[in-house]
Amino acid sequence: MFNLLMNEHMKIYRRLRTWLMFMVLIAGTVTLLIVVHNDLTKGDWKVDLTKQITRDQQRLSRPDIPADRKAEMQQRLAVDQYRLKNNMPPTELSLWGGVLTSANLLVAITMLTVIIAGESVAGEFSSGTIKLLLIGRASRSKILLSKYITTLVFALLMLTALFGTAFVTSGILEGFDQVGLPYLYATPDLVVHESNMFTYAMSTYGYKCVEMVLLVTMAFMISTVFRSISIAIATSVGLTFGGAAIAAFFSSRQYWWAKYYLFENTDLTVYLTNSPMIDGMTRDFSVGVIVVYFVMFIAASWIVFNKRDVTA
Amino acid sequence: MSTPILQLKNVTKIIGGKKIIDRLNFEVPRGEIFGFLGPNGAGKTTTIRMMVGLMRMTEGDILIDGKSISRHFEQAIIKVGAIVENPEMYKYLTGFQNLTHFARMVPGISKERIQEVIKLVAMENRIHDRVSTYSLGMRQRLGLAQALLRKPQLLILDEPTNGLDPAGIRELRDYLRKLTREENISVLVSSHLLSEMELMCDRVGIIQNGKLVDVKSMKEFTDTGDSFKVLFEVGDKEVASMLLSAEPAIAFNLIDDGLEIVLNRDGIADVTERLVRGGVKLYGIKKIATSLEDKFLEMTRGGQIV
Repeated sequence: MFNLLMNEHMKIYRRLRTWLMFMVLIAGTVTLLIVVHNDLTKGDWKVDLTKQITRDQQRLSRPDIPADRKAEMQQRLAVDQYRLKNNMPPTELSLWGGVLTSANLLVAITMLTVIIAGESVAGEFSSGTIKLLLIGRASRSKILLSKYITTLVFALLMLTALFGTAFVTSGILEGFDQVGLPYLYATPDLVVHESNMFTYAMSTYGYKCVEMVLLVTMAFMISTVFRSISIAIATSVGLTFGGAAIAAFFSSRQYWWAKYYLFENTDLTVYLTNSPMIDGMTRDFSVGVIVVYFVMFIAASWIVFNKRDVTA
Repeated sequence: MSTPILQLKNVTKIIGGKKIIDRLNFEVPRGEIFGFLGPNGAGKTTTIRMMVGLMRMTEGDILIDGKSISRHFEQAIIKVGAIVENPEMYKYLTGFQNLTHFARMVPGISKERIQEVIKLVAMENRIHDRVSTYSLGMRQRLGLAQALLRKPQLLILDEPTNGLDPAGIRELRDYLRKLTREENISVLVSSHLLSEMELMCDRVGIIQNGKLVDVKSMKEFTDTGDSFKVLFEVGDKEVASMLLSAEPAIAFNLIDDGLEIVLNRDGIADVTERLVRGGVKLYGIKKIATSLEDKFLEMTRGGQIV
């Protein structure tokens, strides 16, 4: 099994293309952070924050504010006042701001990993190398597993590259002195809590990874079942960008089955603020739907790959 | 040593209700080069795919060294080295990386063994170049190196001479002979070209429309008193034709180059004697069509694909 993994890794990292992908990702991250950095206002953050607080207080005194909006503003206000009192600049002004912004680039990682996943099995068929691969001694299941793991390792490496690049670039731009800044949040009783910023950043990345893993697994499944690189990549990239839009459309139409659609469920962060896409959906329900889809993708890949007559 | 290295038992493959392969039965004993001969589309490649487990059999079984490829895949496949159709390799990797890749798939292949097969196929100079820069002949050789890595007892080569130049074909032939003689490896070679089979194989099985038409040793093919079309290059055609006309059993054609006669082995000796006795100058005696070719065309009824 270890040998199979080495083989799959060799086939990815001995290609110039793979390194170009990493370079594109790193260059993109650096560019994004520089652009965001230049957009930030360069004044004294305490002055800006005081102004913001006054503005929020004025708005809160108006009678026509909806209750949930009011609670949200009160919590923000509590956090802002806490910042002033304890001399903690806003997250956006520290290097963590850049790290959190870069989490949006997970879309790019998803796309690049989908390319790798889409080629993984279909590529062996189109080049004809699948024959020599399957007449080695390894079982088909092991070969497929090694390919799947290798794809996920690639995603993990990309994530590490993204996080590392964001951390270093942002640190250079904003200074490393705020690295110990805690993540602040207020509970509904308006008590402000401090928590570890690194953990918070990791969980932000982690939540976004759910969708990535599913899209990559889907690309892998299509690659295995349909043996077509282009179908696998096109479908998955399409859903990377269109999945959420379709989800919004379904939920706006109130179809009864909309909640079983995968991309209504992949954004688990909605349960942090308790505002699911469709009323009545719970976190456990979404996790359940995700697991069912995942198992279906994997089962389809394995069954088809093990049964197939190789005629390539 | 007594079990044949390869046994096919009633092997049948049905795809979409159509019998692609129909009850194939044959054996390849150890140390033999077996030719698997048939027109394009006869089912050679499908049969080979079933031998190496790339396709499932609908019925029947294939045993390699007594082990069923469908039920004991790992134990059976380890005895086999194969090239199925074209020797496709990872083009973006070097030849050496490709060999490393395939060596890793089978336990117990040392670095020395990789060097050994590189030397065997004489690829030392180019092995660290990318496969995309290789000629077809070099890819064939790399494919062969890959197949030999695990020291197989049975080598299965599907159309191995495709794309090789005459020197390459000859080299391959000599090499296969050497392998069978020195290492007791058995070889199954498929081809649609008869001339190669004649020179390379000990026995030939002819397949047509998924059915095994005949299995014969090369000796049987050539030594059964069959007739050949023979060309006699003679000095004086008129004298020669007069001499032969005296014997009504000999039917001949006068052509530009000489006399064309259909004869068996004894017949050739007989005609030669007559011509020489009659004072005709004889410059050459040539078989025009080989017996195998006639046999093949006769057996496969002109090679029609039904």
